[in-house]
Amino acid sequence: MSLRQILLVLKREYVTRIRSKAFILATVLIPLGMIAFVGIVIGISVWDSDTQQTIGIADQTEVLYPRLEEMAPDRYQNLSELTEDSLRTLVQQEEIDGFIVLGESHVEGQEDPEFVSSGSGGLSLQNTLRTDLREVIRNERLKRANVSEDVQEIYASDIALTTTKLTETGKETEDDTGFLTIVGVIMGAIIFGAISGYGGLITRSVIEEKTNRIIEVIASSVKPIELLFGKLAGIGALALTQMTFWVASLLGLAAATGPLAGMFLSEQMSNMPETSQTASAQQGINPEMFSIPTIEPSLIIYFAIFFILGYLIYASIFAAIGSAVDSEADTQQYMFPVMVPIFVAYIIMFQTMNNPDGTLSVVGSLIPLCTPIVMITRIAITDVPFWQIGLSMLLMIGTFIGTMWLSAKIYSVGILSYGKSTNWKELLKWVKQG
Amino acid sequence: MAVIEVDNISKSFGDTRAVKNVSFEIPKGRIFGLLGPNGAGKTTAIRIINHILIADSGTVTINGYPVSSKTQRMIGYMPEERGLYKKMKVGEQLIYLAQLKGLSHEEAQKKIRYWLDRFEASAWFDKKVGELSKGMSQKIQFIATIAHNPDIYIFDEPFSGLDPINSEMLKEIVIELRDKSNTILFSTHRMEQVEQMCDDICLFNNGKAVLNGNLREIKQRYGKNTINIEFEGDDAFLDELQEVRINNRSTNYAEIRVLDGQSMQNILKKAMNHAQIYKFERVEPSLTEIFISTVGEDNINPKELS
Repeated sequence: MSLRQILLVLKREYVTRIRSKAFILATVLIPLGMIAFVGIVIGISVWDSDTQQTIGIADQTEVLYPRLEEMAPDRYQNLSELTEDSLRTLVQQEEIDGFIVLGESHVEGQEDPEFVSSGSGGLSLQNTLRTDLREVIRNERLKRANVSEDVQEIYASDIALTTTKLTETGKETEDDTGFLTIVGVIMGAIIFGAISGYGGLITRSVIEEKTNRIIEVIASSVKPIELLFGKLAGIGALALTQMTFWVASLLGLAAATGPLAGMFLSEQMSNMPETSQTASAQQGINPEMFSIPTIEPSLIIYFAIFFILGYLIYASIFAAIGSAVDSEADTQQYMFPVMVPIFVAYIIMFQTMNNPDGTLSVVGSLIPLCTPIVMITRIAITDVPFWQIGLSMLLMIGTFIGTMWLSAKIYSVGILSYGKSTNWKELLKWVKQG
Repeated sequence: MAVIEVDNISKSFGDTRAVKNVSFEIPKGRIFGLLGPNGAGKTTAIRIINHILIADSGTVTINGYPVSSKTQRMIGYMPEERGLYKKMKVGEQLIYLAQLKGLSHEEAQKKIRYWLDRFEASAWFDKKVGELSKGMSQKIQFIATIAHNPDIYIFDEPFSGLDPINSEMLKEIVIELRDKSNTILFSTHRMEQVEQMCDDICLFNNGKAVLNGNLREIKQRYGKNTINIEFEGDDAFLDELQEVRINNRSTNYAEIRVLDGQSMQNILKKAMNHAQIYKFERVEPSLTEIFISTVGEDNINPKELS
């Protein structure tokens, strides 16, 4: 293998692409697109939660409704004069979204109130109603039980959790788990997107040389393995350039909008269904933690390492795919099985977000094809034992050597076979032949 | 000393034996033609010489060195499947390709400028290849092949897809290169091109080299056993001839290969009885005829020869 040839190929792959308008546009537009996407999602959820549902309350106790009205005057409507039948009619006519009949039995006894609705409202409305009713009935019960004000205050008090993380050096730091969870997920998602994106670029680059019919001219000057390495390195350098730009922008943005995000999140959380609220509380997402977001340099370094290793593994596979087909349309049959582990990793990543040390997360982060996405999320959120990080890296390096070996064989045969679509059997033959 | 020495090479792809125990030598300063029908193994042999494929057995040496990345630089190769990066500029692309052949950036630039000038194509230096016409990009392809100034040139089916002007230009380049004592190997399935240009030939059929040597000597070996006849009138007499093989037949022309040494005067007499004779000539057989008589009529698909 000649380094000079690899560098020449690398330089061409890098220079011709980085100058192209398409690349510059994509570099700027992809983050803007992502911001727009997030914006739309937020917009929808805000706009959606604005729709106000009206719940009719037939209050036979005459003490519960005033409490509800105090909590959310727009949501509850006092319909105590109406009979249950007319309430049903109102629901059917869609004048109100539902009604609840509240009686003494709910306060004095243990009977649960019944919410009758036309079915609209969904889970978040039900959660809201449950929380509201629990609070007003409990307060009424407390009042009737003649509990001292001290006790009532105890019940009224809201307890938040302040979390402190003890680092290995024994220094106590403010726990940024909430912030870091988001950083971890974003990093995982970036690696996910980058592997699919740059993988596609590699495939197209290989196919382009075949369809342009230049490949044999190149092959008469360069060894296939040199061409392959040059290509992977060139597009990898391109990827790193783009990543550096994006990560720098992201860090800048995070520093600027950290407090803003905190405010936003607290608002979001009050709209969240109760169950996920509990879950978030367990994770310790607390808006105040956004005030001083810090990203350890080691996290950035790990991000770079896992991105590069993940890129190399998948890029070598994608290059082999490109050499095995004659046009982009033929790539489907090979793309699918390759994309499966990427998507599996992506799904595991969301599990990791909630439980970074769970079995699924640990196993997922050690499977080389899933490591880059899952491991970086874990590292961002929690303290991953070093043996796991080291092992995952070794496994990835081993996998890369394996995929590269296979890919080089398929590639060296594939680039010279024109005009026929291959199948898996043929590929196997190439591997033996190469 | 032979510039290219092919010694008993074989190459299989799965169950297909593309090249079987082929040997030939190409002396310096000659134009060597590799002939044979499509699928005879010419391209595989050429790729082995260019070190793009590795022979299963046998050896190839270039200027005395076994084929390697080093020998690749001694060769200018224009494959049958040829093309360029469409989105790259002409100058950049040619410099890149020349650099891959071992030239420094400055050297490459100098050579490229020279050749572009010579082909009156300097104005294209900053144009993208995709913007060029087909004829123009064919010229760029020639430059890409020859710019690093090797002393061996290999063209695989060079005339396929060339427009007549570039075809003529390529012929001139090939002759000019040979006159500067370079060595040229080209393959073709069109026999008449070989007759015009080649000094030596090697005939391929079914992966084997069936005939190999100096073109003139080969032809002489067959003797003047062929008649070129031009006539006007009924051509039915051609069908009555015994022990002959007729090639290139049309309404007023035929090449008659006499197979058994019968008197050619008799054929002339027969012809005179039926038609007006414009031309009757005893010649050496055409390459097509030599090819057919070498491999046997049953062993080739005549449609693959043109």
